[in-house]
Amino acid sequence: MRRIAVVPVLLVLLAGCTSQGLTVADVWGRPPPSAATNAAFYLTINNGGEADQLVSADSSACGTAELHEMYDKGDGVMGMRPVEGIEIPAGGSVTLEPGGLHVMCIGRLADFTPGDHVPLTLEFQNAGTIEVNATIRES
Amino acid sequence: MKRLVIISGSILTLLVILLVGLRLFRPHVFSGTVIQSPEPSFNFTLQSASAPVSLSDFSGKVVVLYFGYTFCPDVCPTTMTDLAKAMKLLGRKADDVQVIMVSVDPERDTAGKLEEYVHAFDPTFIGLTGTPQQIAEVAARYGVYYAKHEGSDASGYLIDHTATVMVINEEGRLKLLESFGTTPEEMAADLAHMIN
Repeated sequence: MRRIAVVPVLLVLLAGCTSQGLTVADVWGRPPPSAATNAAFYLTINNGGEADQLVSADSSACGTAELHEMYDKGDGVMGMRPVEGIEIPAGGSVTLEPGGLHVMCIGRLADFTPGDHVPLTLEFQNAGTIEVNATIRES
Repeated sequence: MKRLVIISGSILTLLVILLVGLRLFRPHVFSGTVIQSPEPSFNFTLQSASAPVSLSDFSGKVVVLYFGYTFCPDVCPTTMTDLAKAMKLLGRKADDVQVIMVSVDPERDTAGKLEEYVHAFDPTFIGLTGTPQQIAEVAARYGVYYAKHEGSDASGYLIDHTATVMVINEEGRLKLLESFGTTPEEMAADLAHMIN
């Protein structure tokens, strides 16, 4: 009887950067040119639990961090706009990637070179605060 | 009997040669949209960090023209990275290609900032800016749309813009439009077929 109880406890411990079934993985960003004031972070959110929403992001390496998305306006025109929050459906996943959603790092306070780990704090409506590190790499 | 064998053997051989030849020598299918420009493209003169630069300076080379801005954290770096990768794939042929980025944000992008920006992707890339009127003229002549819109207090204004990469041939005529998301491999293959 006791042996069966060990398994769920182990699973919870092995969950890592998790909160209530939500995991954040593959957090990364490209090294921006030194002349560029802004940078972008990408990541994947896997939701094993109830529907949630990424409400905001913050980083000590950025003056301000905001959630933005690129979108196709048609006729080859790309636009970018801030988004209020990013919905993560129950049992689903959302990937922030080039050409789509991203965390915009506005006013970099440091140089990001390949191999660096930049701290990023993510606020979720239900899951709360999740701290991650963005790996700076070429792609 | 022997003559029949020789004739049918020859016909068969000719057929095989024809089929192989058609496979080997079929024309390159461009990933980009092919344009037949009736006239040479607008010869602009804009400002680089060191001197004025004109499109005609690169006559004899294939020019890859992109309109973007340094404030943009996603689309422009993605395109610049892809173009840099395409140059690497071209190897020696990259010497016959010049990548130029024109800023659609002349108010914030100085020539010096642009040069630093493009050089981070490839030291041969050129970044150009100008007065807002000059930029407006060049963009209009190339059919490039760009418009400011409000971002947040922190981000300042953002610019929606045509993210298409334009490829001008060695005679100065716009030949290809490569849409955003064209892979470095596709870009390199198209460019290789434009270099003589």
